[in-house]
Amino acid sequence: MAHEGHNALHDLLTVRGVTRRDFLKYCGSIAAALGMSETMAPQIAAALEGAPKLMPTLWLNGGSCTGCTESIAQVDSPDVATIVLDYLSTNYFETIMAAAGEQAEKQIEETIAEGGYIVIYEGSVMTGQDGNTLLVAGKKGTEILSEAARGAAAVIAVGSCAVDGGWVYGYPNPAEATGVQAWLNHEGITTPVVNLPTCPVNPEWIVAMVVQLLLVADRDVAAFVEKTEWVTRSYTDRKYGAVDLLMPKGIFGQSIHDNCPRRGHFENGEFVTEFGSKEEAMGYCLYKVGCKGPQTFTNCPVVRWNRRTSWCVEAGSPCIGCGGLNWVDNNSPFFHRLADMQMGDALGNVQPGSVGAVVGGVAAAALVAHGLGMKAAGRVGDGPPMEEMKKYDRKRLAKKGGDK
Amino acid sequence: MGSHAHYREAHPLVFVITHYINLICMIMLAFSGFYIHFPFFSAGFMGVARGMHFVAMYVILITLVFRIIAAFFVKTATQLGSREVDTDIKNWLPQAENKHQLFETVKYYLFFRKEGVISGKYGSLQKIAYLATIPLTFIQAYTGFAIYAPFMNAGIFASGIDMVGGPMNMRIIHYFGMWVFILFTMVHAYLANIYNFAPSKIIFLWKETLPEGKH
Repeated sequence: MAHEGHNALHDLLTVRGVTRRDFLKYCGSIAAALGMSETMAPQIAAALEGAPKLMPTLWLNGGSCTGCTESIAQVDSPDVATIVLDYLSTNYFETIMAAAGEQAEKQIEETIAEGGYIVIYEGSVMTGQDGNTLLVAGKKGTEILSEAARGAAAVIAVGSCAVDGGWVYGYPNPAEATGVQAWLNHEGITTPVVNLPTCPVNPEWIVAMVVQLLLVADRDVAAFVEKTEWVTRSYTDRKYGAVDLLMPKGIFGQSIHDNCPRRGHFENGEFVTEFGSKEEAMGYCLYKVGCKGPQTFTNCPVVRWNRRTSWCVEAGSPCIGCGGLNWVDNNSPFFHRLADMQMGDALGNVQPGSVGAVVGGVAAAALVAHGLGMKAAGRVGDGPPMEEMKKYDRKRLAKKGGDK
Repeated sequence: MGSHAHYREAHPLVFVITHYINLICMIMLAFSGFYIHFPFFSAGFMGVARGMHFVAMYVILITLVFRIIAAFFVKTATQLGSREVDTDIKNWLPQAENKHQLFETVKYYLFFRKEGVISGKYGSLQKIAYLATIPLTFIQAYTGFAIYAPFMNAGIFASGIDMVGGPMNMRIIHYFGMWVFILFTMVHAYLANIYNFAPSKIIFLWKETLPEGKH
């Protein structure tokens, strides 16, 4: 590699004890996330190593649990993603930056003034009570987002909350949380938004987007949007109406189910019916205990989490569908096959299976009752006496007769 | 309604066969569908259930298209208990005899009138139900394809998934679609056989029942 041995990223990795081999392996998984061949790993490594300070980045937090930050920052050993993202210069990172107070807030203003930056937004956009549900340094969260997004080259919405409001958006949503795209549509801001759902976001997907920006688009955001393969998912926000979301196809194009390492057990009809059972110990399919893998589109089984250590299903938990839209309402209860139907305050939440069984049972009972009625009416056997003429015709004739 | 003859002209052999195909496929679809919805036994059956589900649906779709085309060529009885025939589609769609009879039919079944109502080949409600199964079958096919990986990313299915608010909702719609078919089948089997089993004899065994007194 041309850059090896004499560039900042390489030094940074070496200092933190990441070997060249680890780094290349990591680049291979980034290739997978981008839907490229793993043989692209050296090119990806070169692109990352060759990058000067990429683009100044503002990492803004909305209504969030900072889980996405945790997902990136809290590691017990040097994590390549952290180093790479760190290297790519984050000017403002609410939760983990060293700066505090006015000095920190100034960073935002300065970065915006300089221009040519990227916004990474974590958490939901809290619009409730005219935006007063989220105040940072005395300023409404919605205002901070609008100001930062207006001048940004692109916004990366990380985590489900930033994508469509996430679990904060779940019914009844008193904070009137929404997603970044929905908010920017509402504000008339046309900055492109890249959506990376799941709760929390997988840091490698952010790096994958950075690599895509470096490698494929040569730091040109317009080219990046044009050259990346996207899936467009649409949803209707309860407050802001129809929203179209751009998501990278390499990451969100296939269902978890189709890449799941337990898929063989699914096809064989080998299921976990109960937690703590023998079947669970044997690593059987978690479909019957509510796995939402068939309805969830992310490449979690391929890229995995925590530096490719494991992921939910591999660790023994059914997928709860956090990569979907409006995922809490659409997927709860998490340990049931189908989502509940929300029937309002009077009926509460009902399982579709219960509705089907009740409707079928009532219909069967009604038919039995009807059959008894038919028998009592003497219709069974030969049937009823037939009318000679339609009632409609009889009435019409009678009327005609009366007229005469 | 009960004592009229059941001649082969009502259900020519080709439609006896399509009825069998539909019945068998529907049973396979409902059974495998319930299994896919919630695997109620573990015996290496999921792969088989899914295969069965797909094949049965393709067969139903092909049969349905064939059945619709055949309706323009095959002649069937125009009236209950009659050997007089005409092109099937005329008897399948509402006939002149069905006009003004829908409300009367409802009244008859709710015991608000004693006499049976005049109808063509089928009663008004019956025709609505039979015709409704056509769009319902296509809805089931559509919702089914929309939750089937090889098709779900195609534009027409992806936009439908977005419209209903995600693949989970599509799955629930597909699930309820099956219940509509189960209800249809329950009511259909009940009403067809409530007077006597002559309708089953003709549709399953292709065995005619002569009118009263002509044994």
